[in-house]
Amino acid sequence: MALDPASRSRYNLEDASVLLLDDTTLGMSILVQIVTGLGAKKLYRCTDVDAAKEVAQRHELDLAIVDGMSPSGDGYDFVKWMRTNCQEPNCYTPVIITTAHTPATDVARARDCGGHIIVKKPFAPIVMLERIIWVAKEGRPFLFSGEYVGPDRRFRDDGPPKGVGRRREDNAANAQPIPAEADEVKESRLAS
Amino acid sequence: MSAVRFVFPKPRLAKLLKMPGGLPVAEALERAQANLDTIRPTCMAELQALLELTEARLEAMGESFDDEGMADLYAIAVRGIGGGEVCHVPAVDLALTSLCDLLDHLRTGQRYDRAAIVVHVRAWRMLLGMGDQPGTAAVVDGLRQVSSRYAA
Repeated sequence: MALDPASRSRYNLEDASVLLLDDTTLGMSILVQIVTGLGAKKLYRCTDVDAAKEVAQRHELDLAIVDGMSPSGDGYDFVKWMRTNCQEPNCYTPVIITTAHTPATDVARARDCGGHIIVKKPFAPIVMLERIIWVAKEGRPFLFSGEYVGPDRRFRDDGPPKGVGRRREDNAANAQPIPAEADEVKESRLAS
Repeated sequence: MSAVRFVFPKPRLAKLLKMPGGLPVAEALERAQANLDTIRPTCMAELQALLELTEARLEAMGESFDDEGMADLYAIAVRGIGGGEVCHVPAVDLALTSLCDLLDHLRTGQRYDRAAIVVHVRAWRMLLGMGDQPGTAAVVDGLRQVSSRYAA
């Protein structure tokens, strides 16, 4: 996920509709400065869940950056609502959850609400850009499974465990020559 | 057993990011940092205001278990996390995180340690004035040791 800060790659956020939800003036202010600096222009700034729901029902969103809103945790509920109540495409909108601190009682709530990734505050602009690029990647399946609706959380691809080669190579390396059948066994099989 | 269904949505964001134009990474990061620098004075004022609120609330708390008081302190402190980085006092964010950890641990375990809370609030005030000087790491380490004493 690491991005070279000196990279000459270009990313265009100009036409992306971005929902920002944060109930603190400090948090919203920081988020707006970072996201506009990265090039986003169409921002919907919401300081409460009701306003965010209204935006999500009226506008097509390309990205949502939602604060967990500790201690109430209302931000997690909003993401869950988005996943289960919004029409397409907003129910699939990439969601980055930000959190200043997650109380022990809210960890499962944060994990299960359906966000793509959680970013701990404070975050630097490069971290936000890396996460935006990452959540935009295609190919991550969406899962509808009982209570959980959201991106498949099993997304790590670490390759085979250390010291273990690819299965095909393993087979080739470990393959034992098939012992030649004794002549009498062959003959008895043919006879039967 | 509930049925599991997979969908493979294609986020429009992926296409938008690749559209012609946009900003090179280095320039985007520079702009974002420059934007953050413009709000540094208001961030500092906000951190100061939150600190004063915390001190006032702490003053009103007694020596015995005060769940409501700790909930209030948590609600104030959590709002400041993130501001320290913008104000070039990153240790403040770490101190506030440690304070939130402490309050969360205390409330979860139905315990109370006023001295541990007080030392965090005093450190917050001190770190706010220290900037990024050497020595802040030792203060933060000390705070973490205090808060981790109450971790489950």
